[in-house]
Amino acid sequence: MSILEVRDIRKSFDKSEILKGISFSLDKGEILSIIGSSGSGKTTLLRCLNFLEHPDSGSIAVNGEILYSGDEPDSQREAEIRKKRLHFGLVFQSFNLFPQYTALGNVMLARELLAKESPDYKSRKKELHRQIEDEARQLLEQMGLADRMGNYPHQLSGGQQQRVAIARALALQPDILCFDEPTSALDPELTQEVLRVIRELAERKTTMIIVTHEIAFARDVASQVIFMDDGRIVEEGPPEQVIGAPTQERTRRFLESYNQ
Amino acid sequence: MELFLEQFPIVVQSLNTGFLQTLRLFFITLLGAMPLGLVISFGSMSRFRPLSWLTRTIVWIVRGTPLMIQLLIVYYFPGLVMGNNIWGSGESGRFLAASIAFILNYACYFSEIYRGGIQSIPKGQQEAGLVLGMTKRQIFCRVTLLQVVKRIVPPMSNEIITLVKDTSLARIIALQEIIWAGQAFLKGSQGISGVIWPLFFTAVYYLLFTGILTILLGRLEKRLDYFR
Amino acid sequence: MKTMKKLLALLMALVMVFAMTACSSSSSDDSSEAESEVAYIQDQGVLVVGITDFEPMDYKDEDGNWIGFDADMATAFAESLGVTVEFVEINWDNKILELDAGSIDCVWNGMTLTDEVTSAMECSNAYCNNTQVVVLPADVADQHDTVESMADLTFAVEAGSAGESQAEANGFATTPVTSQADALMEVAAGTSDAAVIDALMAGAMVGEGTSYANLTYTISLNEDEGEEYGVGFRKGSDLAEALNEFFAESYADGTMMEIAEKYGVQAAIIAQ
Repeated sequence: MSILEVRDIRKSFDKSEILKGISFSLDKGEILSIIGSSGSGKTTLLRCLNFLEHPDSGSIAVNGEILYSGDEPDSQREAEIRKKRLHFGLVFQSFNLFPQYTALGNVMLARELLAKESPDYKSRKKELHRQIEDEARQLLEQMGLADRMGNYPHQLSGGQQQRVAIARALALQPDILCFDEPTSALDPELTQEVLRVIRELAERKTTMIIVTHEIAFARDVASQVIFMDDGRIVEEGPPEQVIGAPTQERTRRFLESYNQ
Repeated sequence: MELFLEQFPIVVQSLNTGFLQTLRLFFITLLGAMPLGLVISFGSMSRFRPLSWLTRTIVWIVRGTPLMIQLLIVYYFPGLVMGNNIWGSGESGRFLAASIAFILNYACYFSEIYRGGIQSIPKGQQEAGLVLGMTKRQIFCRVTLLQVVKRIVPPMSNEIITLVKDTSLARIIALQEIIWAGQAFLKGSQGISGVIWPLFFTAVYYLLFTGILTILLGRLEKRLDYFR
Repeated sequence: MKTMKKLLALLMALVMVFAMTACSSSSSDDSSEAESEVAYIQDQGVLVVGITDFEPMDYKDEDGNWIGFDADMATAFAESLGVTVEFVEINWDNKILELDAGSIDCVWNGMTLTDEVTSAMECSNAYCNNTQVVVLPADVADQHDTVESMADLTFAVEAGSAGESQAEANGFATTPVTSQADALMEVAAGTSDAAVIDALMAGAMVGEGTSYANLTYTISLNEDEGEEYGVGFRKGSDLAEALNEFFAESYADGTMMEIAEKYGVQAAIIAQ
């Protein structure tokens, strides 16, 4: 059974339709790469999955559980949406680290707030705190930031900041980790260190959706590729097909413009 | 010189009493206006149109009219128009009326500073908190608030220093703050009359106090320097 | 267009508020006229007297108690009504506001009975004579001993005071300041050449042995017509009549003159 089922998602802002019926599914451990020119709707799609935008219609299901359905009134309570969000993690293009927390603090904050809601928090306070901190340290080490844990975001390079952001998203153990153009704000050199981390995650079979401009990287790391244009999926399939031998004229033109 | 030395302790004691009143008005205004300003700023940012329109109109009226007029209105209006002087005659009623006028006036100025500060925080901070499963309240308290504080410390410092000196406006409803106390010796008080220097000497009090405030606020600013 | 309408509505609302306040203020005046203020004061048990620091009429002794000719008379008057007296320092510019708002019951502070005062307040009979005198630095006083010789001087005067109207009547160039004391400061600081203030105040504050030893006062501007001090109450108050009776009694039994002598103003007292 697929871990993610997206059915006919539509979304309009004011009068212009940004998503014109998007459907796809994703299996556990798969890596989906979404490519397409700016304004094709790929970021909006990612934001819909993370409940930062509300789709106008369609449905989203994770592990068979329907998280969102356009048939139901969208008067969902904040608490419910919060729970549903935790199925997804999101890494932003502009990192969005919390500036007043250290790298370690950024990774720990959400976990600690969540732990406070557990019924036995008071009695296990110290134990929980230690557990969260240990896991956070592990994640940062895994990101190659062992010596940067006590640094504040402004003391880190863009690549380091993005790796902290990845660790922060991983700390909540999401079912699906989403990346919204994670390297667009980075120099080529720093881009490589972030891509290396994502590649490592891929090797560990982390389910991921990556919106990216790095076509070569998408081809290399993704198990599925979707090419979007004007709010629709134009072409989807394994990277060798979509990037290697596109069948659609629109896809070919897009890829050509990249190769130049 | 002998006369001066004789007058000095009497004058200083009287100025101290006046300055105590100045300080009381200053602190009570800060204490009242800082939280009220936050409420007003939330009101003006409300998505409920009538509420935001109403609060913005109030802010416009309060910021658009002189504090001196507001003091006169607050103190004299109930007695003049409603035929019921709720403030009494004494110092405590005048102080209460002055406090209300000052708190309302400064809350409106503070609210605009807060609003600017809150709106200057990038939307990405809120979104990052949301996707990490934090509630709006948690995001405000744990993420946004400190960043807002950091941004508003410099403009707030300005307003706070201005407030120290604005307290002298309360003289218009005969609140006996330090300038009133200094002026009293011009006309004659406690056997000293026609003496000019106490009035100018009040400046020393203001300078010392604003100096202390400048240092404290500067320290707060430094304290928040650890992040950007 | 929509915003225009909103603005218009707002302006209308403001006009309404002002109109309503105007209406209700006139109605509140009516109601106060109907009642006896003497009864009101006796009910309250206290007479609130609006004053400023003004030697020798109202000023503080070393212990911080209010004394002076006016203060002592006010205390005695309150006693005769069977109530206590409370002195409240006011901002002189707002004396009519204070009275009408009810934060004070009378203005008793060497107040000259000008047209402005008599039309806005219910005033007692005059109890003290006063004139407006010119204050000058002592070293130039003998060069300016007539109105003609003062023509090219600049004068500091209290805004709205009897001194201001006298100075203007004589065609002097005036600078209005907020109090008579400020007017004296102007002369002392040299920012004005001269000031016009009450003779009673000049007597207490100007000349050798006073705080302004370098100043002196020369001619009186209105010796012929003169001017008089009175006590102001709310319009229509019966307290004015009560005070007139009290003045008559205390003048007759000598207590008024006794108090006047204590503060050196006996020469100016008007027979009641």
